[in-house]
Amino acid sequence: MAVPVTVVDDSKISRKMVIRALPPQWNIELTQAENGEEALAACRDGKAEVMFLDLTMPVMDGYQVLEQLQKEQFNTFVVVISADIQPKAQERVKKLGAIAFIKKPVKTLDIENVLHEYGIV
Amino acid sequence: MYCTNTVSFKSVNKTITMSIPPYTEDQNDALQEVVNIAMGQAGDSLARILGNFVALSVPRIRLVTVEDVIKTVTDMVDNNAKISAVRQAFSNSLRGEAIVVFAQAGADDLADLMGYDTDLDRSAEQELLLEVGNLLVGAVITGISETLKTDLNFSAPSLMAERTPLDQVLVPEQLSWSHALLMEVNFTVESRDFNCHLLMFMAEEAIDTLRSILDEFIDRIQE
Repeated sequence: MAVPVTVVDDSKISRKMVIRALPPQWNIELTQAENGEEALAACRDGKAEVMFLDLTMPVMDGYQVLEQLQKEQFNTFVVVISADIQPKAQERVKKLGAIAFIKKPVKTLDIENVLHEYGIV
Repeated sequence: MYCTNTVSFKSVNKTITMSIPPYTEDQNDALQEVVNIAMGQAGDSLARILGNFVALSVPRIRLVTVEDVIKTVTDMVDNNAKISAVRQAFSNSLRGEAIVVFAQAGADDLADLMGYDTDLDRSAEQELLLEVGNLLVGAVITGISETLKTDLNFSAPSLMAERTPLDQVLVPEQLSWSHALLMEVNFTVESRDFNCHLLMFMAEEAIDTLRSILDEFIDRIQE
């Protein structure tokens, strides 16, 4: 069965870069979101078993999405994909429940490693 | 771009108003993302040497004319007080100049943040500004070059201003372009009152070159 996956980034090119880097053999049902609110809506609609989440976005940023996901107790696997790669940013998102932190520009291998580690693929 | 022999922008006859076609939505989106990535790497380098979390602003990208460059930069830097600044030229596929502007308080705090004696003499302080400027510019140029897969080099840093009002640092009469693409990000260590801005300017010729480099980048992702 196709896994519901949501890619969240305000930049269209950035979403494309993430989508391109997903393992080609992975059977997914893809949803795209441009900001945190759309990301949460996708979660509530059951479209985000796995979420690839940018941090810096208008309307609602990635940190706020992570906080809200914890509050609403979603079991979404959240992989943060960020240009801000400081160790403290990484620590902060892990504390907020993200399973992994991948730096931009994203590489297929980085995504595959995380998906394997969590037995998602 | 300024009166120096290290930077040689194509000189533009300022009496001719050049019109620069704006970038498309996709080109702007790609540029914003590339600058985000590069500035993120610069922020990480800075955080490592300062041993502190560095807050990064969302990069601002503007097309400026020589007439409004001072107002734009003053608004961005939000500091009409005295600043110190380090500049470096970059060249190869894209030519331009990067300037790191330190609010004076930031320059004073830098030594302390880096664990040096806070009573630095003038030459030690200059060295510190050059080192940090070079670190930021190096990271950002490398980030842009790697992301866009285009070759860029950068010159050694030079001190452009010390404790000088911003409007004396950027003098329109000394600029050799009429339009430039300006990219700006602000790095802040909140707990320590440290703040600096990285500004990158690319003049007319580079604006057009960048257009085609961005198109190639977008094409690679569409494939």
